[in-house]
Amino acid sequence: MENKKLVEVKNLRTYFFVEATDKQITEHTENFDEKLNALYAGDKYLKGKVPAKAVDGVSFDIFEGEVLGIVGESGSGKSVTAYSITRLIPDPPGKIVGGEVIFKGKDLLKLSFDEMKDYRGKEIAMIFQEPMTSLNPVMKIGDQIIEVLLKHEKISKEEAFKKAVNMLEQVGIPAAEKRMKDYPHQFSGGMRQRVMIAMALSCHPALLIADEPTTALDVTIQAQIIELMLRLKKERKEAAILLITHNLGVVAETCDRVIVMYGGKIQEVADADSIFENPLHPYTEGLMSSLPDPDKPKQLLQAIPGIIPHILELPKGCKFATRCTKVFDKCWETEPDLIEKGKSHFVRCHLHG
Amino acid sequence: MSDKSKEEKVSTTLFQKRWKKFKSLKRGYYSFIIVVIFYIFSFLLPFFVGRDALIVKYEGEYYFPVFKFYLAETFRQKEVQGEANYRMLKEQFKQQDNDNWVLMPVYPYGPNENLLDELTEIPPTHPNNVHFFGTDDRGRDVLARLLYGFNIGISFSLIVTILSYTIGVSIGSMLGFFGGKVDIFGQRLIEIWSTLPFLYVMIILSSILNPNFLLLTFVLTLFGWMGMTYYVRGEFYREKARDYVSAAVSMGAGNSKIIFKHILPNALTPVITFLPFAIVANIFSLVALDYLGFGLPPPTPSWGQLMSQGMQNIEKWWLIGTPLIAMFLTLLSITFIGEAIREAFDPKVYSRLR
Repeated sequence: MENKKLVEVKNLRTYFFVEATDKQITEHTENFDEKLNALYAGDKYLKGKVPAKAVDGVSFDIFEGEVLGIVGESGSGKSVTAYSITRLIPDPPGKIVGGEVIFKGKDLLKLSFDEMKDYRGKEIAMIFQEPMTSLNPVMKIGDQIIEVLLKHEKISKEEAFKKAVNMLEQVGIPAAEKRMKDYPHQFSGGMRQRVMIAMALSCHPALLIADEPTTALDVTIQAQIIELMLRLKKERKEAAILLITHNLGVVAETCDRVIVMYGGKIQEVADADSIFENPLHPYTEGLMSSLPDPDKPKQLLQAIPGIIPHILELPKGCKFATRCTKVFDKCWETEPDLIEKGKSHFVRCHLHG
Repeated sequence: MSDKSKEEKVSTTLFQKRWKKFKSLKRGYYSFIIVVIFYIFSFLLPFFVGRDALIVKYEGEYYFPVFKFYLAETFRQKEVQGEANYRMLKEQFKQQDNDNWVLMPVYPYGPNENLLDELTEIPPTHPNNVHFFGTDDRGRDVLARLLYGFNIGISFSLIVTILSYTIGVSIGSMLGFFGGKVDIFGQRLIEIWSTLPFLYVMIILSSILNPNFLLLTFVLTLFGWMGMTYYVRGEFYREKARDYVSAAVSMGAGNSKIIFKHILPNALTPVITFLPFAIVANIFSLVALDYLGFGLPPPTPSWGQLMSQGMQNIEKWWLIGTPLIAMFLTLLSITFIGEAIREAFDPKVYSRLR
């Protein structure tokens, strides 16, 4: 990783304030730090609510030109991490409580909505999970792409039109000029995701955040979309992709580095090869063993026992303690730190402490 | 799909689809055509119904009284004071039998014209082949008043509807989009405003001020915009949580772009479906106000005023019957339009399991 840092996420904490039972309130509000106390004192809305720590102290870097994957089960906080970077957290109930997101030397979390507008779409673009709903149903897709171009680039309408057609051709939409005048309902799911990608990449963002871009698509289309994203990435050397997924196959195929998240915390960070070959955290191990092995076709898949606990009932110590097969006493009491084990391979586990 | 058929494929917008569906609903579609034609026709009424001649040729010169006011002296009409009486002029020219002639509208009676001099009976007179719907108690032609009243009624209700919808939609979208305190306080203010008794305010206002077209539009708009805010607010609440809105935000769109370009077009369904019914309601309000005597000032032709005359002369059936039937037909056809629009905007075809 000799490349320059593009984004530096430092101790990011995004909490969702939810209503809770009295028992939960006493449990979760007793050891507040100053920041939370100040927050509660200043906002009546928070009364009687407890913070659900969707993302709790996450720090990582995104380097120029890399594909960084975030994997984890549903509810592990991976999407919230990504949304926090572009500040698309609905407030209320969500709030980015602390941390910094340094993008090209600027802390994005300190910008106003209007300043943020210049970054969204231009510097950081997003692809959403649901291509069926993330396009405006009453706007022609051409107009939707042109709108983004006109917002961020000083070009005329004709130029924007040409550029939009060009983008659609690049993402592999046949008869692009004709289809500019079509509405989203006239496209299939995979085609719509292509349109979303065209829209997201139209202003050449330095960072593309893809929030489970293939989850809603069927398998053949998934491969095409991943291939498309990588092909378009190759053309721009400095651009980075933050890929959020729970599909380990996609990770193996695409990512340079992988972050494994569980319970709102980073559990393991490593480059993709070492994650697959030498997983250190029991959770990562569990994820790997749940992959089907083509050499042993009849074998039952190894699932991680149990389900992810409710976010307010995560254990005090290691967040994974309730489901870990190698759990011991220390795990219940103190939370391990994220420590370096091998070259740029970090893990949060007492087994490696 | 071959290249050729691809080229022939024209994408239909949602609006085009709905328009096609609307056209297929015959009752609403024909009502729409009839109402629109009648309304356009009602602007050209002076050419068909009125007391002013279209063209007068008098001593080698042409006059166009429809566009310009001429004194009776212009045509040396000694019997008449003020504006020339063209029906009389026509008779005179006929008797003189020279080059002069008058071209009258098809139905040569104006809505505000007092016909006491020409009537043989005491008004209100029965319908006959001169005055198809008779005359009212001041000797004015009922058919002419009905037709001019149609134009005023529809224009009035269109203006009120558009104004109150503009206000209602913008306030509703503000409440729905910004939510929070704006929404809570805004809604309470709207609720308080809605409890103001419209009729009493109207009675008080019309006793202090002289009600005219502008004042009435203003007051009706003031009391008519609240209903739409509820629907638009709800639509905005629903739409703003949709993915395409966060997608638009993630692409750097600002608040106004999101409100007007992304959410509003998606939130217009209740606005459009309620539109015809709001027009009906506003026509009705004007008729009711006129009937009670708080509406447009007296000489203005209006249906409500005709009806109130009819109530005073209850045995003269044409005074109450004709405006009632006219109103019934108008409101019915607009309701048909509304029904068809609602149907056209309904994404589901009526179906059941069988």
